[in-house]
Amino acid sequence: MSVARVPRETLAVALGADELASELARAGHEVVRTGSYGLCWAEPMIDIDGIAYGPVTDLADLEAARLGPVDALPDLLQQERRVFDRCGRTDPFDYDPAWLRSQLEREPVEIIGEIEASGLRGRGGAGFPAHIKWRTVHETPADEKYVIVNADEGDSGTFADRLIMEGDPFRLIEGMLLAGRAVGAGKGIVYLRSEYPLAAEVFARAIDSARDMGLLDRFDIELFVGAGAYICGEETSLLESLEGKRGEIRAKPPVPAVAGLFGKPTLVHNVITLCAVPDILERGGADYAALGVGASTGTMTFQLAGNVKKGALIELPFGISLRALIEDWGGGTRSGRPVGAVQVGGPLGAYLKDAELDTPMTYEALAAIGAGVGHGGIVVFDETVDLVLQAHYAFAFCAHESCGKCTPCRIGAVRGKETVEAFMASAQGDDELAIIRDLCDVMEQASLCQMGGMTPIPVRSALGLK
Amino acid sequence: MRNGDVDFGTPAVPGEERARRVSLTVDGHRVTVPEGTSIMRAATQVGIPVPKLCATDSLQAFGSCRLCLVEIEGRRGLHASCTEPVQEGMAVQTQNDHIADIRRGVMELYISDHPLDCLTCSANGDCELQDMAGAVGLREVRYQDGEDHLDADTDASNPYFSFDPSKCIVCSRCVRACDEVQGTFALTIDGRGFGASVKTGADDFFSSECVSCGACVQACPTATLMEKSVIDHGVPDRVVKTTCAYCGVGCSFKAELKGDQVVRMTPDKDGFANHGHSCVKGRFAWGYANHRERMLEPMIRDRIDEPWRAVSWDEAIDYAAQRLKAIQAEHGTDSIGGITSSRCTNEEVWVVMKMIRAAFGTNNVDTCARVCHSPTGYGLKQTFGTSAGTQNFDSVAHADLMMVIGANPTEGHPVFASQMKRRLRQGAKLIVADPRRIALVRSPHVEAEHHLPLLPGTNVPLMNAFAHVVVTEDLVDHDFVRERCDLASFEEWVAFAAREENSPEHVAEEIGVPAGDIRAAARLYANAGNAAIYYGLGVTEHSQGSTMVMAMANLAMATGNIGRPGVGVNPLRGQNNVQGACDMGSFPHELSGNRPIGDDALRGQFENAWGVEIGEEPGFRIPNMLNAACAGEFKAMFIQGEDLAQSDPNTQHVEEALASMECVIVQDLFLNETAKFAHVFLPGTSFLEKDGTFTNAERRINRVRPVMAPKTGMEEWKVAQALANALGYPMQYGSASEIMDEIASLTPTFANVSFDLLDRVGSVQWPCTDDAPTGTPIMHRETFVRGKGMFVLTDYQPTEERANRKFPLLLTTGRILTQYNVGAQTRRTDNVDWLNEDVLEIHPADAELRGVREGDWVAVTSRMGEISLRATVTERVVPGVVYTTFHHPDTGTNVVTTDLSDWATNCPEYKVTAVEVRPANHRSSWQETFGVRLEEQTGLLPQT
Amino acid sequence: MATVEPGSDETRVRDIAMSRLDHIGGTIAALSDIVQTFGHIERRHMEIVADVFNLTVAEIRGIVSFYSDLRTEPTGKRHIRICQAEACQSVGGRELTAATASRLGISLGETAADGSVSLEAVYCLGLCTSGPSATVDGRAVPYATVEALIE
Ligand SMILES: Cc1cc2nc3c(=O)[nH]c(=O)nc-3n(C[C@H](O)[C@H](O)[C@H](O)COP(=O)(O)O)c2cc1C
Ligand code: SF4
Ligand code: FES
Repeated sequence: MSVARVPRETLAVALGADELASELARAGHEVVRTGSYGLCWAEPMIDIDGIAYGPVTDLADLEAARLGPVDALPDLLQQERRVFDRCGRTDPFDYDPAWLRSQLEREPVEIIGEIEASGLRGRGGAGFPAHIKWRTVHETPADEKYVIVNADEGDSGTFADRLIMEGDPFRLIEGMLLAGRAVGAGKGIVYLRSEYPLAAEVFARAIDSARDMGLLDRFDIELFVGAGAYICGEETSLLESLEGKRGEIRAKPPVPAVAGLFGKPTLVHNVITLCAVPDILERGGADYAALGVGASTGTMTFQLAGNVKKGALIELPFGISLRALIEDWGGGTRSGRPVGAVQVGGPLGAYLKDAELDTPMTYEALAAIGAGVGHGGIVVFDETVDLVLQAHYAFAFCAHESCGKCTPCRIGAVRGKETVEAFMASAQGDDELAIIRDLCDVMEQASLCQMGGMTPIPVRSALGLK
Repeated sequence: MRNGDVDFGTPAVPGEERARRVSLTVDGHRVTVPEGTSIMRAATQVGIPVPKLCATDSLQAFGSCRLCLVEIEGRRGLHASCTEPVQEGMAVQTQNDHIADIRRGVMELYISDHPLDCLTCSANGDCELQDMAGAVGLREVRYQDGEDHLDADTDASNPYFSFDPSKCIVCSRCVRACDEVQGTFALTIDGRGFGASVKTGADDFFSSECVSCGACVQACPTATLMEKSVIDHGVPDRVVKTTCAYCGVGCSFKAELKGDQVVRMTPDKDGFANHGHSCVKGRFAWGYANHRERMLEPMIRDRIDEPWRAVSWDEAIDYAAQRLKAIQAEHGTDSIGGITSSRCTNEEVWVVMKMIRAAFGTNNVDTCARVCHSPTGYGLKQTFGTSAGTQNFDSVAHADLMMVIGANPTEGHPVFASQMKRRLRQGAKLIVADPRRIALVRSPHVEAEHHLPLLPGTNVPLMNAFAHVVVTEDLVDHDFVRERCDLASFEEWVAFAAREENSPEHVAEEIGVPAGDIRAAARLYANAGNAAIYYGLGVTEHSQGSTMVMAMANLAMATGNIGRPGVGVNPLRGQNNVQGACDMGSFPHELSGNRPIGDDALRGQFENAWGVEIGEEPGFRIPNMLNAACAGEFKAMFIQGEDLAQSDPNTQHVEEALASMECVIVQDLFLNETAKFAHVFLPGTSFLEKDGTFTNAERRINRVRPVMAPKTGMEEWKVAQALANALGYPMQYGSASEIMDEIASLTPTFANVSFDLLDRVGSVQWPCTDDAPTGTPIMHRETFVRGKGMFVLTDYQPTEERANRKFPLLLTTGRILTQYNVGAQTRRTDNVDWLNEDVLEIHPADAELRGVREGDWVAVTSRMGEISLRATVTERVVPGVVYTTFHHPDTGTNVVTTDLSDWATNCPEYKVTAVEVRPANHRSSWQETFGVRLEEQTGLLPQT
Repeated sequence: MATVEPGSDETRVRDIAMSRLDHIGGTIAALSDIVQTFGHIERRHMEIVADVFNLTVAEIRGIVSFYSDLRTEPTGKRHIRICQAEACQSVGGRELTAATASRLGISLGETAADGSVSLEAVYCLGLCTSGPSATVDGRAVPYATVEALIE
């Protein structure tokens, strides 16, 4: 019998994947529901006996959507799929725990050593070396420790966490268990945003199945679904939220690795960071470190979004240029107009102009131009973009999502928005720009967290203030 | 010298004496501080104040205002000095152009959403925002008109303070004060971002969970939360440190004044009992001192149905002296006596006590502590050797377990309750033994491990059952007992406790608590590590009050819970100076320091010092005086600041006694119930006019300093002195301080105490001697005061007062947060907004059986009498138990209470009265008489 | 204390809260469940949640007002959320929002007077390759058009 593999992933489902799956079943195919490969432009993308089709709108006219043999798709072949290795190929619940079991026998210090050797840095935005946090949690004595997964993925242009949690939840469970083993934690918690109901459903089922396999005997996993607050992606706000409170930012120090959830040592990582761990332990930290450029080791899950023809998740070693991503992988803008600006790294990321598109995607190179990798989201705008409006939006978003604890962000974001409005209404605008410039300094220097602290990045870059 | 006026921004590191020291430089100045100290605190210590708004040293660092940013050498960016701990070798810079620019930018944002009405603002001159705007040099706000909060409505629902959110800077200090300091969690930040604002859980403060402690008002750096008295009168300009005259916590206050007008009372950060916190009574309910009903002139009359005549002090004193002399001449020296007030200062009590012993020449002196804590004195003296609690309040911070018995700290001792709750939030465990579900049993952030809702009157079997568990499960601290206790008494006690009749299973039914709960609670207590007992009048006001005190003391000794921080047996004293009134020797059988009057040598010392003879036989206790009065043998009484007719049990009997006497002299602030039976009224002074000391529940001697001159024209101690002189016994004190010197010279535990010392060190806990020159926070550390701790057998003799067919319910009484004792003070303040009548709490099952619904009028009848009041139906009380307060004289709660009392001390059994409750539609006959008398007696007052 | 009948709202809210009592972030989970069950959170719900979690009503109010999902007003029968974030802006999200609002005759953040529909902002649905994105009654709508949202 022929086997049809149909993704069960939010975008594919919204575009009709469930109906396709039923039709295919009715037509006599053995249907396997998989995750998505992340080639979003091709969703719903199905695979019948190894041949990929997408986007499939009409089964009657399948050939029109033929992409070719899955194993030979350049869009997949040319990636370096370390984290997303299984995602798309497999049934998320068809999991053999043998490898994980063997890895969980390894000594904590040995695991931490591999992480250090890999040079892995946090994929949640800050790019902080993972092993330092691991070692701190490991070495801080406590009766209870936690591993917390930050799946709040609120940045516009990002969906990597969602894709992996929907398509390969066991990858994350592996990462959590290994981290738990390394740092000596007995409990793992995933903080998932409420905008991702399918991810919640899939992951909850994966937890149950892991529990049935006996994987959670010494380290339990709980899923928490947020309630609509971007700021809860910031790790201390997230901890407050997990304690059942308002997600107000905590001042650091102490860092969560020393005193996190309920004051206990806590390892907080982004989904993708933890999902890189199995590969690192399987092939060795050195192998991972050999990928990438300088201190930006390993792969990054770039997410090409916005006004781009072939929006997708593309896992590649650090170092590729933005232009290559947009042109070669993304096929240019969806509108067909020239690129006007690219916002890299979410709403707190810089708007880059054409001249900056050759910058290699590494932590260091982007930092050098006042930008950042963030969570790997790349939002393309075509030439019709109004960057003043984008600056206004940056303030407005900060005003909307500010937790309200610190003054620069709480009042500054609103004053920023108003001053951009005044700037738009004024003929000259110099006075307003001067105020915005000062305000950006105040927010950057004085905000309690990076919500207020990084809002100046999109503002300055959009307005050309340096 | 402690300096309460400098705000260090962040609290001291806990246990800072033991912490490692760290050195750093701040703007080039070297400073060494305990590890964990914030940069801000370190900088303030070397006299470099860092600008701040959200930080204050009564609250944990928060880091929200972002004014306190500093640079740290070798680190990028700016760092909030409030949340950044010091590190060895750190070099901090608190000021440069860059920092100044950023701070000014932050301040510009603040002011862009703040009314510009400084000159007409109630906080003008007392506003941290104003100060900081100046400090950072803000000169201009460039933002155009935009969103703001300037139109937000003021909430004036609380009688004492108003909340004007248009001035709020969202620093969360109020919210944090409510959480961290008070522990009520009544405030929150609502919304987020620019919409963030301070809210209660309700529409306004008054209808919310707020208990009006005022911590938020004190914490607010702007005029947002402001005392109405400051809004009315302006910012105060003068400060006098003094002590609250309400409960036994004894909070230290700064009375803030303009001229001699009190503008506000601010709890003193340097106060050892309260550390800058207070409750609604102390902070706000001081207005009674100026109440129009305050009596300011002496009055006399020959008979109680005659009008009062306002007279001069001389005439009043002469008149009183003549009448007393005449009575003594006719009926004998011992036909008169008097009582001292535990609301007056030690010095005032001393003088009255001395007047009675030396000028009246009788030992018929008692104190109103008789009716509350006399069993504490007796019980702890027998077992430990000292008639007082063992710990300081701060000790609770070290307790792993608290057992609260017959006390309701959140209502009765709110400031200490906040300290308890803080410790409970840190994880200490709690056992509550009380017939009612008091708030500590379960209220936000606090939950008792065990609530033992025992029936009134069964404390002793409960404690004996605890002892049984400790003994039979071998939870005894044998090392402690061997070293510290009297072994023979211990062995006897073990044999007693082990008896089957004391087992939880045996007593469970009588107590009304399942045996399993008793066992579990007893184990928890015995195994806790540091277990501390706190108790109140629910222990003492029983016919076995003294037995119960000793039972608790036994238990604490057997489990080794005495003599170090975090343990002990601690009475929560009702009135401000109960401890002091007892210490001053105003009991018929004791001279100061709780020493027996029968001791010849001791009496000799007093006789030498006073130049009179003192009888060796104890005189009358209060109940004896009243009984003797009814019998026609006791004819005159000097009553200092105590309303016998409202507060003593069996009102009708008290009234009869008072009415039988030929001369009743009342010294009080108001024409109280007792004064309606008086012949001489001597106006007293409020605490704002007093100079002296109060001794709180932790034996702490606190200074009371005059904030204003006596409104009566005469200091209170001078009145008794004048009466003594008029009676022919010379007294020549020039000041209250001299009185304390005499107390110290005649009382070993006070040996080192003087006003001088107190002014220097703040306050001391007695014993304050050469061995302990600044007092003794924790007693019985090495040995017990009596030598070896003595176990006393605590056989249970049930009270005669039993529920029966006719009176099937047990009435127990207590008090509420906003009112105090007989309410004489609090009823004359806006505290009545919270509760202006006493109500009867009754369980839904009992209510239904009797057809009583919420808010109905009910009649409560005991074998003594009947009263009517409104009912509230609540599960706070268990079935079979009803509860009320005695704050309002027209309720007449004590009309129904009995004259049973503690076997050892005669402390009345207020806590157990068998009653019946039924729906009523009219006031009781006593209450009607009360109304008539009120009208009559008011009519007899001099017209003004 | 008034007795409550089983099956009443009060009991259901209490049951919901109890079921979340020992969970991480239990208050928020319970309040989210209440929104799921009743559509929005009322003051009496907050009182029950406060009681179950042994917190004050003030604290619950603070929590409710912080999280945008914890709504205190019902939505319209049809509930449209349109993504306002950058990736969707780049492909016409602003225009879609404006057009939808004008077709419905309400502004973003409003519910129609007759309660038929409400229009709400959302900030990223993770469909950023395929914007503008929206949800209708919780169902994701990529490549959204006015027609797709209103029909
Ligand atoms: C406003 C704000 C939002 C954030 N949102 C997220 C998020 O959605 N997901 C995430 O993983 N990290 C987010 N972060 C970063 C986290 O604070 C934290 O650095 C991260 O979870 C650490 O994990 P990593 O070491 O794996 O990157 C956010 C930070 C800020 C300031
Ligand atoms: S920067 Fe904004 S989000 Fe961060 S703490 Fe300050 S107010 Fe909260
Ligand atoms: S930005 Fe709209 S779905 Fe992500």
